[in-house]
Amino acid sequence: MRKYLLLIMISFVSMQLFGQGRTITGKITDADNGEYMPGVTILQEGTQNGTISDFDGKYTINVPESGATLVFSFVGYETQKITLGEKNVVYVSLKMSQEILEEVVVVGYGTEVKTKVTGSISEIKADEIALTPVSTVEQTLQGRAAGLFIESNNGKVGGDVKIRIRGSSSINASNQPLIIVDGIPINTVAINDYFNVYLNPLNDIDFNDIASVEVLKDASASAIYGSRAANGVLIITTKRGKEGKAKITLDYQQGFSEPTRLREFLNAEEYIDYFTQAAINAGEYDFANGLSGYATVEEAVEDYIGDVEKKFDRLAGHTDWRGDYANTDWQSLAFQKAISSMLDLSISGGTEKMQYFTSVGYSYQDGIMIGNHGDRFNILNNIDAQLTEKLKMSLNLNLSRSINNDIPDDNSFSTPLQMVAQSPITPPKDTTGEYYNTPTTLYYNPLIEQDNVFFESTTFRTLSNIAAEYQLIPSLAIRGEFGGDITNHYQERFYGSKSEVGLSVGGYATNYNATVQYLNTKLLLIYDKQIEKHSIGATGGMEYNKYDDNYNYVEGQGFPNDKLQTLASAAEIVAGTSVDSYYRFLSYFARATYDYDTRYLLNITVRADGSSRFGEENRYGVFPSASVGWVMSNEAFLKGSEKVSLLKLRASYGLTGNAGIGNFDYKGLYGIGSYAGTSSLFPSSIANPALTWEKTAQLDIGFDFGFYNDRISGELDYYIKNTTDLLLDVPVPATTGYAVQTQNVGSLENKGYEIVINTQNFIGDFSWSTSFNFSVNKNKILELADGQELIDLGGSDFMNVIMVGQPLGVFYGAEYAGVDPDNGDGLFYVNETEGSDETTTDFNLANYVVIGDPNPDFISGITNNFAYKNISLDVTLQSVYGNDVNLQGDYWMSSNASQYDNQTIDQLDAWQNPGDETDIPENRLLFANGTESRSSRYLSDASYLRVKTVTLSFSFPKRLTEKMNMSSLRLYTSAYNLFTFTNYTGWDPEVSTDSFTDNVYYGIDFYSAPQPKTVVFGVSIAL
Amino acid sequence: MKKSLYKYLTLSLIIVSVASCEDILNLEPAQSLSNETALDNDEGVKQALIGAYDNMSQTSLLGGELMRNAELYGADNEILWVGTYTAPREIFNRDILNTNGDVLDLWTDAYEVINSCNNVINALDVVVAADQNRVRGEALALRAWAHFELTRMFGQQYEAGIDNTQLAVPLILIPTLAFGDNVDVTRNTVEECYNQVITDLTEAESLLPESNDVFINKYTAAALLARVYLQKADYAAARDAANRVIASGDYELNNTYAECFAQDDPTDEDIFSAENSELDNSNVMVTYFAINDFGGRADIEIEESHLALYDDLDARKAMFFVDGDATFTSKFNNEFGNLSIIRLAEMYLIRAECNSRLGTAIGAEPVDDFNMVHTRAGLPAEGAVALDDILLERRLELALEGFKVHDIKRLKGTISVMNYNDPKMIYPIPVSEIEINPLLEQNPGY
Repeated sequence: MRKYLLLIMISFVSMQLFGQGRTITGKITDADNGEYMPGVTILQEGTQNGTISDFDGKYTINVPESGATLVFSFVGYETQKITLGEKNVVYVSLKMSQEILEEVVVVGYGTEVKTKVTGSISEIKADEIALTPVSTVEQTLQGRAAGLFIESNNGKVGGDVKIRIRGSSSINASNQPLIIVDGIPINTVAINDYFNVYLNPLNDIDFNDIASVEVLKDASASAIYGSRAANGVLIITTKRGKEGKAKITLDYQQGFSEPTRLREFLNAEEYIDYFTQAAINAGEYDFANGLSGYATVEEAVEDYIGDVEKKFDRLAGHTDWRGDYANTDWQSLAFQKAISSMLDLSISGGTEKMQYFTSVGYSYQDGIMIGNHGDRFNILNNIDAQLTEKLKMSLNLNLSRSINNDIPDDNSFSTPLQMVAQSPITPPKDTTGEYYNTPTTLYYNPLIEQDNVFFESTTFRTLSNIAAEYQLIPSLAIRGEFGGDITNHYQERFYGSKSEVGLSVGGYATNYNATVQYLNTKLLLIYDKQIEKHSIGATGGMEYNKYDDNYNYVEGQGFPNDKLQTLASAAEIVAGTSVDSYYRFLSYFARATYDYDTRYLLNITVRADGSSRFGEENRYGVFPSASVGWVMSNEAFLKGSEKVSLLKLRASYGLTGNAGIGNFDYKGLYGIGSYAGTSSLFPSSIANPALTWEKTAQLDIGFDFGFYNDRISGELDYYIKNTTDLLLDVPVPATTGYAVQTQNVGSLENKGYEIVINTQNFIGDFSWSTSFNFSVNKNKILELADGQELIDLGGSDFMNVIMVGQPLGVFYGAEYAGVDPDNGDGLFYVNETEGSDETTTDFNLANYVVIGDPNPDFISGITNNFAYKNISLDVTLQSVYGNDVNLQGDYWMSSNASQYDNQTIDQLDAWQNPGDETDIPENRLLFANGTESRSSRYLSDASYLRVKTVTLSFSFPKRLTEKMNMSSLRLYTSAYNLFTFTNYTGWDPEVSTDSFTDNVYYGIDFYSAPQPKTVVFGVSIAL
Repeated sequence: MKKSLYKYLTLSLIIVSVASCEDILNLEPAQSLSNETALDNDEGVKQALIGAYDNMSQTSLLGGELMRNAELYGADNEILWVGTYTAPREIFNRDILNTNGDVLDLWTDAYEVINSCNNVINALDVVVAADQNRVRGEALALRAWAHFELTRMFGQQYEAGIDNTQLAVPLILIPTLAFGDNVDVTRNTVEECYNQVITDLTEAESLLPESNDVFINKYTAAALLARVYLQKADYAAARDAANRVIASGDYELNNTYAECFAQDDPTDEDIFSAENSELDNSNVMVTYFAINDFGGRADIEIEESHLALYDDLDARKAMFFVDGDATFTSKFNNEFGNLSIIRLAEMYLIRAECNSRLGTAIGAEPVDDFNMVHTRAGLPAEGAVALDDILLERRLELALEGFKVHDIKRLKGTISVMNYNDPKMIYPIPVSEIEINPLLEQNPGY
């Protein structure tokens, strides 16, 4: 990688040779392994006279007869100076630099030496994430970088994921970062169908092909991406070939997964006792309050007991709940033994003029929920070619095919985990071996789906980019790129004649096809000049992004046989549609960098973006940024210091934008529908011709340090991000005939700090290094529409609101006050006045207050690498602290028998006798009694600390591998989510149900699959 | 090598020249029309009128929630909600939160209908002259219908003979053309709402043709008027409106009771039915009342106290069936079928009730109208009927079709122990609506 980057840089430099003097030749080797080093720069000190070493490490340079000094430099290696004496042959061996700060990092539209970077960028290298036993790249990033928050919706394979860089900067527009893969922006909108199954757009990338991931956090780093960079940028760079003989690597791993955590539910005996008692309590309560007009309490109780026993009779099926009852553990039936395997093969190498990296990968993963599987096949080809001295080209081609056997979203009776609602006295099957369905089961039995429903989503994805760069003059190059992200996605679904959907119509099938084309064209001019100690760089260009998607589907019903599952067999085609959507961005951008002696750094960027998403008057937005840096350690008073290897101060300020809204939100529109077979038009949105970009101004102050030869190094950052002109779906009175209008109103703020500390605790035979990151982000809504303090669209069920002065999506509802010890009533605080502890049983009288926050107070990660000779142990811990989750499913499963749903074991603590101190109200069959869902009773602290990955590996000694003709052989075992420490009362604290998740509604657990705990065993071979 | 460079440069130039053309950023949506052009032509206005029907047939309205909730609200131990959704459960328990989702949907969607109608009325000039009366008539009728349903769910029952100053809902009579229209509105009184509904329906009846495919015609408007007048206890006007429908001779009772329900097309008896098909379905009565086998969730069970009201020979009792240990209705067993909204039987029963109350025999003697319905159910004709007989007949004939709570209210009855005019017997104004329009006063008790 480094060598490749250097090649780019040196190709910018003129390589004129002087004709006079003498010729020096020699070979350059790597001090570590004795291998010859191609691409090393050899420069006569103080002149422009230079060359680079060839494929075999050989070089030839003409120098004046006397007095010359040669400088040998190579990125990542210590520079050597040799004053020439008599000899005309000079062998040099270069040592790897300990100075990681000399690294080159990828920045927007280019690369930059890390020391000279003035923005805030986190970098995650391939070796940190390689071989993590997960299926998608973002899962490997959890806990690896400060300011980067990643949360999977749930533990389903291929499920969508939330990525936030420095918090949420928008309320209604997108909060996902811009993701660039090898120079092209990729589509990050989850592909979904009307079945609400969202598939993660990063699913199709094999992360073993990734060389590095850069997280661009501040405005200086991201403003060059302009209108789409307000949420930060993730730049993913895949591996490229290096000059040298072919290198072949083979990785194979095989593993097993199970849920991280389970919950405990009532068994059959407990269920019968609990609900019988609930019926008695309900009868007594009904009589005491004269609700149904029973004459005596006995009559009331008898009536309720009659109801509950009738229900038991129904639920017990062919069994006798009074005697030999079934005792079904429905939860265990929802999970499966999950296996996973992964195979990756790569070949890379090249000549001086042409390098290649090619890989094939296959991975298979079972979900932990029954019926959930995924697999993926990837091919990556990266080729770089120096066509002429001045012209070079590169090609990236990443092809994938992913298949996902998905399962219904969390808010479906058919999703496996909803089985926990079934009564434990219900046997899964009847005496003939058929699965029970309603009315025997309480709800539709998801087990029926196992052999009567077939879901499969197939995605073909092509990420491809070709680039050509021509050196116009020594310091100026022109570069053109054309690429795209093309997705073909189709879903086949068949619901057999016994399934919930197919039952009434004799089988039902849908076929859904989507094509997404996201094309990108760029033209860049790149200028780079070093004049003595002044180095000047400039990049200017234009970019055009064209997005088009089309989907269509056909639905049919009435199938002759459950084995005939394609629409060809449908008796009737009952629905079909095709829908096109599109947008365009046309952009111009420029960046200028200047530094003096790598001491004083300046970076200015500006971008102008035009978008089809806004009306003509407001179509273009301008996004500038400026940043400065001072590398104190390069000042004379610190240079060469033993103790201080790096001290750098940097500050940046700039503007980024967000246009992540609907394609035509600025227009007043009539939508199209139909009634009685006639097409119709109806007003669907009110125009807002003034609609424009959401703008985020960000100030970042950072400090980078390295001490004792970088035995201790790190970064500190403080930032304030202020987003104004929020693209807000402002509720308008329904009396207008509309629900919302998209307006630019209001503002919000994210501020926080990030700490990164890397230490090399021990070096030598036993080595131990630690990398720690910690981030705090405070989000606050500053202002909404004029006079608006609150946006609450949650109804009776959802608690997340948008409230001035509070973080986005805070939980707002009634404050649960526990149980009246005298009578077992569930109580809520009235909260009419602050500080009052008045309580009520009438939920309508309880004023809503802020009762929780789904945003974490801080996130952090710590990775320790231990190595002793051939054995290494890597342990990464990750933690999220201070966030709450709304246990929305607990309204059903932890509801003191206000539903017939099976209850969690804690409901046994329900109030029984006057004086009982408990938080669970008296169980009164089907009476709400404190179970109104929008209360703090259904919030739980979801802080957690996880042992995210543990990898123990053993590398065979060189002398053995050489005998086997291998350059390395490694065996390892790795565990993911091995331990989770949390007080969360639901399944897994990392959760946000796939049914209701968006910018505002998150931190909701609704029968959501817990995260998997995975252990794998693997082998890595390099030839 | 050089060639490809030139190719690329040429390509770049093309890109630059294309890019400099602003047109690439001017896009029009593929699935919508801009409002500047949608209603500037005859066809567009007529499609917008169909749009008003489309809105009216949404799940919250004639898709079925309107009727389902009227039944649940007045369940009175005759039906039992066993479903999982919280909004209907609150309505069933008569313990409604001011955030109730069904209440919000009714409010929002009814005003969508009203806005569609107002836009159509506003754009009438571009409609060909021959169709203007019809289009205006349909729009007025739909607007009145939506206002009426809002009025009786959000305002207390109209009390005959007094000035009904209790608040109902804002009357919206102009289209929302730009942001700001219809924003700062206040609730009109029940009296004002009824007056506007009657004015609109009366005009609609005068404008509309006698037949109009499956859409609202003259007699649909009259039938709605009969309903409205009955609800406000204006028996003479209700009787006369019902009489106009019956006297038209355009409708006749189906031979059997079962034929009235779960049909794909309107029956002879249907004065209006909400159209559904496999391709365009919003029938949610099926969703809640039907069992899984018919595409439903089996959320509403029929209780013994309701079944006990029927004579064993009554064909209407045969509409119920047992699944597991619970009883369900088969009225809504056609997943993609039409929903019958106004049937001729209702008109006979209105005329019978009003004639009986007023001691008149406009159109027919009450007993004859009663027997039309009674004998169709397979029961022997009665020689004489009292008002209570007619009311019971109405309860059985129209069971589960969305009349329950409204009839209890107009008859000043009780539900369990709750009075018909208890504050809990009308919906709260959605709290989210009050937050954005503080001019709206909340109903007492919420």
